[in-house]
Amino acid sequence: MNHRCPVRALSRALSRALATAATSQAPTPSTFPLKNVTKSNFEPALESLREHVRAADYVAIDLEMTGVTSAPWRESFEFDRYDVRYLKVKDSAEKFAVVQFGVCPFRWDHQELRFIAHPHNFYIFPRQELSFDDPAAYDFLCQTASVDFLAKYQFDFNMCIREGISYLSRERENELLRRLEESSRFRHKHKEFRDVPLIRMADVLFSERIKSRMKEWHEKLLHDRNCELQFNESTNDSKQQLQTTFYRTRPALALSGFTPHQLRLIRQVTRNHFEDIVYVCVNVQKSCVQPLLVYTDCNTDKDLLLKEVEDENRRGEELKIHSAVGFRHVIDLLSSEQKLIVGHNCFLDVAHIYRKFFGQLPFAAEEFVSSANKHLPYIIDTKVLLNSSDILKYWMRKSKTSLSSAFARLCPEIALGYVSTDLASKACVKVEVQVDDVRASSWNAGAKHEAGYDAFMTGCVFAQTCSHLGIKFHPRSSSEILARDEMLEKYVNRLFLSWNNLDIINLSTGRVTGNSVGSTYCKNQYSKILFENIVLIWGFPHKLRAREIKECISKVFGLTSVTSVYALDKTTVFVQFKEAQLVSDFLVLKETLERNDDPISVLNPLWSLLEGGNTCAADYETYKEICSSPVSKAYFSDQARAVGIKWKTRLLNSKVPGQEGIRKQGASNLSLENAADSVLDKTNMKSNKSASDDMNRRRFSCGEILDSLCAHEVERVRTY
Amino acid sequence: MAGKGSGHFLRRFCTITSNASAQKWSVAQVFKSNFAESLEGLKAHVSGSDFIAVWLRRTGSSSAAWHRVSSFDTLETAYSKAKHAAEKFQVLQFAVCPFEVRASKVVAHPYNFHLFPRDELEIKRPSYSFMCQSSHLASMVDEGFDFNACIYDGISYLSREQECLAKVWKGIPVCGKYPEKSSSSPSVADAVFLERIRSRIKQWKNSFEDSSTRNDEPLVRSMRKLILGSEEYGSRPSMTIDVCSQNQVQHALEVLAEFSEDLVPLTVPAKGAGAWAVRVILTSSKEDKNLLEQELQNLEHEQTKAFRGFREVIELISAAQKPIVSLNSLNDFTSIYPMFLAPLPSDVDEFLRSLRLVFPQVFDVNHLMKEIAPLGKTTSIATALSFLNNQFFAPVDVEVSPVTGSEGKHHGLNVVRICHLFAKLCSILRSAPESSQSDSSHQAGTLERFANIYRPWPSADPLDESISIWRNDTRRANCRDVVFLWGFEKGLSSKMLKSQLQGSHKVFSENFDVRLVDKSCAIVIFWQPGLSGNLLSIMNSSDLSGPLLDLVSEGLKAAGYETYMKLCRLGLFDADLADAFDHNFADDNGYSEDHSTRKNYDVHSNSESMIYLEEL
Repeated sequence: MNHRCPVRALSRALSRALATAATSQAPTPSTFPLKNVTKSNFEPALESLREHVRAADYVAIDLEMTGVTSAPWRESFEFDRYDVRYLKVKDSAEKFAVVQFGVCPFRWDHQELRFIAHPHNFYIFPRQELSFDDPAAYDFLCQTASVDFLAKYQFDFNMCIREGISYLSRERENELLRRLEESSRFRHKHKEFRDVPLIRMADVLFSERIKSRMKEWHEKLLHDRNCELQFNESTNDSKQQLQTTFYRTRPALALSGFTPHQLRLIRQVTRNHFEDIVYVCVNVQKSCVQPLLVYTDCNTDKDLLLKEVEDENRRGEELKIHSAVGFRHVIDLLSSEQKLIVGHNCFLDVAHIYRKFFGQLPFAAEEFVSSANKHLPYIIDTKVLLNSSDILKYWMRKSKTSLSSAFARLCPEIALGYVSTDLASKACVKVEVQVDDVRASSWNAGAKHEAGYDAFMTGCVFAQTCSHLGIKFHPRSSSEILARDEMLEKYVNRLFLSWNNLDIINLSTGRVTGNSVGSTYCKNQYSKILFENIVLIWGFPHKLRAREIKECISKVFGLTSVTSVYALDKTTVFVQFKEAQLVSDFLVLKETLERNDDPISVLNPLWSLLEGGNTCAADYETYKEICSSPVSKAYFSDQARAVGIKWKTRLLNSKVPGQEGIRKQGASNLSLENAADSVLDKTNMKSNKSASDDMNRRRFSCGEILDSLCAHEVERVRTY
Repeated sequence: MAGKGSGHFLRRFCTITSNASAQKWSVAQVFKSNFAESLEGLKAHVSGSDFIAVWLRRTGSSSAAWHRVSSFDTLETAYSKAKHAAEKFQVLQFAVCPFEVRASKVVAHPYNFHLFPRDELEIKRPSYSFMCQSSHLASMVDEGFDFNACIYDGISYLSREQECLAKVWKGIPVCGKYPEKSSSSPSVADAVFLERIRSRIKQWKNSFEDSSTRNDEPLVRSMRKLILGSEEYGSRPSMTIDVCSQNQVQHALEVLAEFSEDLVPLTVPAKGAGAWAVRVILTSSKEDKNLLEQELQNLEHEQTKAFRGFREVIELISAAQKPIVSLNSLNDFTSIYPMFLAPLPSDVDEFLRSLRLVFPQVFDVNHLMKEIAPLGKTTSIATALSFLNNQFFAPVDVEVSPVTGSEGKHHGLNVVRICHLFAKLCSILRSAPESSQSDSSHQAGTLERFANIYRPWPSADPLDESISIWRNDTRRANCRDVVFLWGFEKGLSSKMLKSQLQGSHKVFSENFDVRLVDKSCAIVIFWQPGLSGNLLSIMNSSDLSGPLLDLVSEGLKAAGYETYMKLCRLGLFDADLADAFDHNFADDNGYSEDHSTRKNYDVHSNSESMIYLEEL
């Protein structure tokens, strides 16, 4: 939530602090702590949450993450097409961890005409619970600024790491179960054992001793079936290493205190000398493996035993995997109850939920949207809602649509504990918060920015907005749900595609629309961005700024050729041309100038852009390709290199789609040479007639040109 | 080395007196809030010390098996791996312990600095983001590490390079240093630039030297000023040269070097956007020039003190020029380098060269340990210490000088154990640094042959290009006799794989061994030279037959050691080594590529594996 944009969140905190200060005489809201849930109280908390969610009309959520963007250029920009925006959200959800998850079910109490809210603040941490899982899957990234932001609000990192609830996604769980299956099949396939050669004297002696002990035990078993107690006594002297027990009604010897090497020898002795004794390892308790020597009556019994042991061990492992599901139970609950989920600017949250609890994020936004919709069918974004109606917008006036300012403005009664005389707040929806047994109608959980409190605020804002939109709350029958309310329906599953942009994606259809639903007022009406008109340039001399780049391109292609230049970071710019043709003209010219690298090229106005020899250029699709890479370098130019781009110019005709294309060298296209020359001619005609142009025709030698240039330019201060 | 033989006879269960007192040892815990005063204390201790031990704790270590430095790595691949890890993970704890060695007594002064790469200047430095390994964090928290204190109150820092950047950001001028004249001839554009700058400076300078202009009218003078672009810096005349790249800054300085007698160059970042200019200040005499330079330096130092943060500590250690003792020098110094100097270079030689300039003598305790006991269990400091206690008689007493306010704090105690271990090792190696004040440097000299060794595994012959395959096996193989195999059935053990390969083809009829690198990839070591090349060419040829053909048709693939080196060099660290091979060399027609590079590789492989800093 807030740390998505630290500055905004800070202002939110400030505004809240100011608001509190302003009304210091007014009744202060009740302050009692949030319900924090960690692994120690997870089970009971989950049970009570289950009931609250079942009874709820909607559930508000909020997430705290360890970061938002893995590199500055991965932040959200105006020049990002919706599929690129999705790739950036995807990258964020894949790299960063969720450390806190706020869940707050809201239930409409018809008698008292108010909502009852039950905020829960879950600490979660991607702890590896299963030793046989891949540890790399639990690595996560921290964005220094976000962690610092959390620290500013006294986020308890120790609590999170020590006590945080772990989780396992559905995909991971299935994968682990499948692997379990595979490994048991593998064991069947490679059943033969090779004997350990008995070289060391100690091994020989040990094997003999074990053999005689087993023989003794075996004989006693056969001759006197009631000898166990007696035998037990006789083994007590050897540090209890062998102890008679029963395994599934069969007599058995429990082995303890042996080294793995000794166990291997015991196993070998058993295999080679005792037909009716089987060496097995069984799971006892949670993680202990107990080796046993079990007596079997016959071969069929032996097979039966082996199967039993294997099944039991399998069940034990499966149980371990199931118990590692952890916090995902909460998400499974939300998903199976099909409740309306309410979040504030929550597209990234949804991506995180999908990645952490369901599975890998697909590459295409449409695909993501349709499968997310299957798991969580009703999601509503309060930010979309706040931007949707002109009345609400007017009423919010200039205050930002950040969560805390919306909360302070829409629900002063809850936030500050007083009834405002504000005209609009007359229709205030009452919300009562309940934490364990404490109830209050206004609540401040302390100065902290905790996911649980933010979820509560989101839910309150939602209730208030609904009431402004004229949505009536009434007890609903089981078949009727709030999400299907005809007033609300047009807002359901409309989410802002990224955290600072107004493109809205519809989770039900996958369509992206420009701006708000149902609003006639659009404050951000930019001229439409045509992505096919865009060239991406990186690695240019770092003195150049956007305006200078625009100037130097305009000199070549005409004053109106460049619509806009936008800096992605200090190494990279987007240049939008007037028409798509200019994109390929530009790329061809650049390639030609660099290939020739002669005095004439140097005199081309475009050369100042190419100076240094590291300037690369490509079309918009390359940008998307680079965004889809899992690598994240700090600067875009480094990223391009890390992704494997070795060429300097990608001409449009030699485009190789997909990941493959990035790794391959962009071969320069011979057929384009003629075109390149003609462009060069054109630009020479266009460019200002200068002394150098004349010399060009007279074919002066390089040295002559230089000399005359120096003579001409001595008094000039600026280079070029 | 002499100690090795006799040591065994001295085997004794010596009393671990120093361990008993371990409970009493305490380490000064340093945060942002007490950094300034701790730095003063450290300064005094460093100047009185013989050695300085360091110990670092990062947010994790590589979780993929093949990303870790292994016995089969050369210095080059080990560096690539260490670099990869150092760039990923963040140092949170940096313990520094200056210590003196007197007879068999060590006096240690441990400080444990808590670091957090907070962006104090809002320039997205020192670190935009960093990786955490969740199991590592969990075990740190179990040991009682306080993440809250570390994140809320950790010390930030900027490397030298980042400091320059910060100066640019904040618009602080920097004294220009004259570059060495580049030998390559400049490009056309550069030549134009150089010539223009030269003539401009000449004109400008002449205007001051030319006595005829001295008496000009003020109007004329100001006109001239305007035309020549002359300004004033304090009371001295100056001129600004606009430049558009770092390259041009260098060129401008190159030209200015010709006028170095009375001109002082100053590179000025234009405010905000980081565009540079070079300002030239004209001084009237040599004394005046020195004065100005001193002035400028003081000013710069004051302005940037706040930027450096924890780097002050590294600067302090470096400036002291004392020998550094580290547990794993390659790991530690790949982390220290980017905090101190600049991002890690891609080339290991360059890394070692510039590291040597700032840390002339570094001792690797792990390496010393291997000198004494090549096969000893040295997985942790504790096992190494108990191993030495059992095998050798070398009593060392450790005294930790108490630092006020650190009672009962034990974070970073490992740094004291490193001092302890080091002193023990020295006394065993018969090069004990028993220093009376006067000859401490001389005594340390006998240790010198063990200094600055960053290669992962020791070998008797420093020019040896071989690698060892197993950590506990002294046999060494040549890189060229090693082949990487992947694409075999998942879950096979090395024994199973070996038995599958045995007899599958006649190359496998001679003596060879198999070791798994990770679960997806194995190395085959041919103890007879030349067979690896045979295998690689067989794998690529059409006349495969028999069991090997079956394996290949099931997906078995092979690559030589050079391909592995290339993976490391390019930093292509996929989680599984097999994936890394597959992804990155799928379109390269793997085997033939191996053969074409094979030849070149042979030429430079002589020096590739074992590089001593002394030889550079």
